[in-house]
Amino acid sequence: MRNKMIFTDIALALLSSAILLTSCTGNSGEGMIIITESVSSQGKPDFVTGESWRYLPQTRLLAFNPEHPDESPEIITPDFYSARTPEVSYDGKFLIFAAQQNENEPWQIWEMDLGSLKARQVTSSSDNSIDPAYLPGRRVVFSRLSQNDSLKAGHTLFTCNLDGTDLQRITFNPHTYFAPSVLKDGRVIAISRQVYPYLDEPAIMVLRPDGTKAELFYKGVKGNKPVSRGWETADGRIIFIESENNSYTGGKLVSINYNRPLHSRKDLSQSMEGDFRSVFAMTDGRTLVSYRTSENDLYSIYEFDSENMLLGKKLYSSTTANIIEAVAVYEHERPRKLPSEVDMGVKTGLLLCQNINVTGMSSPETGFSLPLADRIEVIGVDSSLGVVEVEKDGSVYLKVSADMPFRIRTLDAGGKTVNGPGGWYWLRPNERRGCIGCHEDNEMVPTNRYAIAISKDPIVLPVHVSGIKEKKIELE
Amino acid sequence: MKKILLAAGVIAIISIVVFIPGKRWARAHVNYKTATDDHPLKCTDCHAYISKSPLISRLVNRDYFSPVNVTVSGDGKLLFVTAQDADELIVADSEKGEIIKKISVGNKPYGVIIDKAGKKAYVSNQWSDNVSVIDLDNLKVTDTLATGNGPAGMSFSSDEKHLYVVNSYSSDLTVIDLEEGVEKKRLSTGSNPTNIQLSPDGNELYVTARRAAIVPYGEPMATELTVINDNSKRIKTYLSVESAYLMENVAFTPSGDLALVTLIRPKNLIPTLQVERGWMMNHGFGVIEQKGDGRIIQLLIDEPQAYYSDPFDIVITPDGRRAFISSSGVNLITVIDIDSVRQLISESTPEMLSLWSNHLGVSSRYVVKRIPTGANPKGLALSPDGKLLYVAEHLEDRIGVISTESLEMVNTINLGKSHRVTVLRHGRKLLNNAGRTFQNQYSCYTCHPDEHEDGLVYNMASKDMGRNVTNTQSLRDIGDTPPFKWNGKNQTVYKQDGMRFSTVLTRTEQFPYKDLDAITAYIMRGISYPPNLLYNPDGKLTEAQKRGKKIFERTTDNFGNIITENNRCVTCHPAPYYTNLLPADVSTLAASDDSILFDTPHLNNIYASPPYLHDGRANTLEEIWTLYGKDDRHGLAGDMTKIDLNDLVEYLKSLRGPAYEINESKIQRASIRK
Repeated sequence: MRNKMIFTDIALALLSSAILLTSCTGNSGEGMIIITESVSSQGKPDFVTGESWRYLPQTRLLAFNPEHPDESPEIITPDFYSARTPEVSYDGKFLIFAAQQNENEPWQIWEMDLGSLKARQVTSSSDNSIDPAYLPGRRVVFSRLSQNDSLKAGHTLFTCNLDGTDLQRITFNPHTYFAPSVLKDGRVIAISRQVYPYLDEPAIMVLRPDGTKAELFYKGVKGNKPVSRGWETADGRIIFIESENNSYTGGKLVSINYNRPLHSRKDLSQSMEGDFRSVFAMTDGRTLVSYRTSENDLYSIYEFDSENMLLGKKLYSSTTANIIEAVAVYEHERPRKLPSEVDMGVKTGLLLCQNINVTGMSSPETGFSLPLADRIEVIGVDSSLGVVEVEKDGSVYLKVSADMPFRIRTLDAGGKTVNGPGGWYWLRPNERRGCIGCHEDNEMVPTNRYAIAISKDPIVLPVHVSGIKEKKIELE
Repeated sequence: MKKILLAAGVIAIISIVVFIPGKRWARAHVNYKTATDDHPLKCTDCHAYISKSPLISRLVNRDYFSPVNVTVSGDGKLLFVTAQDADELIVADSEKGEIIKKISVGNKPYGVIIDKAGKKAYVSNQWSDNVSVIDLDNLKVTDTLATGNGPAGMSFSSDEKHLYVVNSYSSDLTVIDLEEGVEKKRLSTGSNPTNIQLSPDGNELYVTARRAAIVPYGEPMATELTVINDNSKRIKTYLSVESAYLMENVAFTPSGDLALVTLIRPKNLIPTLQVERGWMMNHGFGVIEQKGDGRIIQLLIDEPQAYYSDPFDIVITPDGRRAFISSSGVNLITVIDIDSVRQLISESTPEMLSLWSNHLGVSSRYVVKRIPTGANPKGLALSPDGKLLYVAEHLEDRIGVISTESLEMVNTINLGKSHRVTVLRHGRKLLNNAGRTFQNQYSCYTCHPDEHEDGLVYNMASKDMGRNVTNTQSLRDIGDTPPFKWNGKNQTVYKQDGMRFSTVLTRTEQFPYKDLDAITAYIMRGISYPPNLLYNPDGKLTEAQKRGKKIFERTTDNFGNIITENNRCVTCHPAPYYTNLLPADVSTLAASDDSILFDTPHLNNIYASPPYLHDGRANTLEEIWTLYGKDDRHGLAGDMTKIDLNDLVEYLKSLRGPAYEINESKIQRASIRK
């Protein structure tokens, strides 16, 4: 009896110690690497639907410890038909990913406790959701197919709380968006491609998590397409994969500088054969890549020295499957949590253009000059929203229905097009936004000049709309 | 046992009775003060650091040096550092990194220069209106020279017979005959000048200015650079530097072909719609060509997505190849390749140069490197051979030593006081750092240089663009003048700098509460007005000021009629802050303003805050009544003669910081220590 009691005491003590140790360390798998294994052969990728590119059948997430390469990796998504695009939470304790529970079911966003490996569903939609990324404030940004979307978009970006509540659409133009990630400054970058009125080259757009201040971040030379999620490095670069042909499965490993993204592209893989499928940059400077030496090879996970542009140690490979993604489990810096100016009680946004005749096409650098325009046409998806005369200094001040895409073209007095239409804009409810001109150099700042247009009330668009009942905005 | 239990029960009941409502009250109190509902309920977080008790203040605070400028002896062996908060000139061995001596000088020493013979150092005492003369053989103050108001930068004349002293508060230049030790001339400069440099040929001196010339809101802004002829000691010209202000320092290339001046290009005429793409503040330098027609070209040191706020000092290497700019708001030294600047200018048309002044990408042509430093790098000095750059790390109490060859920090010299960063000091660092603004585009300092105000009117676009423009207000001594903002919407500094600050102004994540508490503590208790030595040096009013005081406090008009209480100056503007802290309608609402009442502003050191009224429409104090108060709703003024108004204005200009008003016995006399 006494022995039994002693045994019970020891067992209890051990159990308590185990619980204590587990709770102290969090047992979150710190140091592990999560990889995506794809066993299926790939069809022709579709950029708009994401089929055979973002959505792949029979992919699964595995975890392995790089310190113990002899150990078999553990399948952490055994209950899913397909799972991919993992990202680790800032505290290193959770994993967010997209997964299809059963074949032919929609892809949803899931979050897994890396301690217990239990997953719970974040989104619940009849449309596919893919490419989740953590946002500060226990939120997530992801891409979702918008079928029959009146804005003619393909995949659009959404944010929601990690319990799936407070779902917010944040992109409102006829583009398709994939692979969002969050910059240290708190903004979201994502691969974006115009799908209406014509299919344009993909680029990387940047926007605030509330969908405001969306603008071009990076666009490669003609033919180059960003095809993977971009990761910000410790030294202020964004690394991603760029395809130089129509393959969305792989390409060059390139970097751009956060400080000058439009003019700092660097091919980090220029001296290497083969191609890259994905990249993951850690905040301590280490980089993991999915790479294969040739088309006949399978993608494996390697370390990569992005400073010296050298492929490092192979960390994991399979003889039967492509390893297309890798993320490291570790606690890392949380990006800034940006405040939001969006007020859903307001139905419009405000746009000030300083001078419609400022354009990159008329430039002292090129010596070329466009004729002066004196009005603009604001064009919606299906119809013109109105033609508006601008002030004599070229300024125009608009109040536009929120969350509605529009483009602007400049016209001369005879109604002839001078410039444009340019890219798609939208304004979120209560967003205030400014532009210097039309198609202007993205690196220009505004001249410190009082715009005549703001001495008057804004022009409401669409012009046929009158008497918008607005929430009364308090003076700050 | 029963008694013990009974006593314990009573204590428990009393504790519950006191604790629960007490906690509820504390929660409500903190929620009101911070305008949030989750600020930690720790009394000391706020009260220990905003307490006015001298004992508590002594316990929680520490003394610091706050070096602002540094210069190097002719042989490169000694460093001379002005320690602004210690009222000392610190002499250090540049090789050993040891402090040799700390010499007490006047209040708030600013600049220090050394004569060519290495015999004398001159230290300008910004809050004492004088210059301390130091014998370098025995390192003692031997003389004190009177200057204008707020002496800052200094230069010798080319023959070293005269000393030019820039008077930053009175916006003029004192010319001192060094043989006689007296001021011989006073020349008018641009507004709020801070520095002066002699050209390499010894013919001209350039005087920088920080405040823009006052113009009606909407008109283009410009700040004046004053050019002095050294020979005649007369003003040669004023150069108008358009769309720029806060020109802190200037340097000439050794060949004399260019002068480079630090500057900021504000966007106050543009609604504050966004920070993205440089819509609020840009930082750069001006290039003044010394040949031809003296073109002024402005170039940015900012980059797309990244800003390098608050450029302060600029020095150029003896070989003329590189310039170093202290980007004080981001703790970096920006390194400029001057040959690249020359090449850019030579290959650009005037139209292109105009474009470059608003272009973030062009800095990649001439910015070589950004070198990290300690907190708030200010004054710079090069060793005589140009191999070392010394940096006055203002809020680090340290001199950074940078190799101009490797462009790396190679050493630091600690000035020797407490390494502990107090809450107030942390708050001061936050206020002077742009790290809590989206992409580091501006710090609090940018619009509140020296914790004052920048003299600009901004379109904050809080509701509609183009409406409700507001004149920047000073941060000095505002701790006891709630509410804040012109419309008085913020009941505390906590609210002012909390979430709304982040949404409206910094456009990035709000301050964590520890930082919010620190910056609030610093704003409330750490910023004092400089003494009003210009209009009220010792509390003794002039006859005109005395007459003006009577008018300010009068209860009857010039015809003997009783003035209604709410139309007397003193009713709304009582001492010591000269505000009753209440909202008022003084008939100054513009057509472009929403219909609101304005928080009654305090009037301490009001002379230093033009333009006036909430939208800065009054260029001078006189204009408040001569142009904008004709209906007698901003105090009865219609009965006043011109002389009465002049007297009233003279009195208003005499108003000092609240500390002096609270304790009249405190004579604010320049502290001249020998």
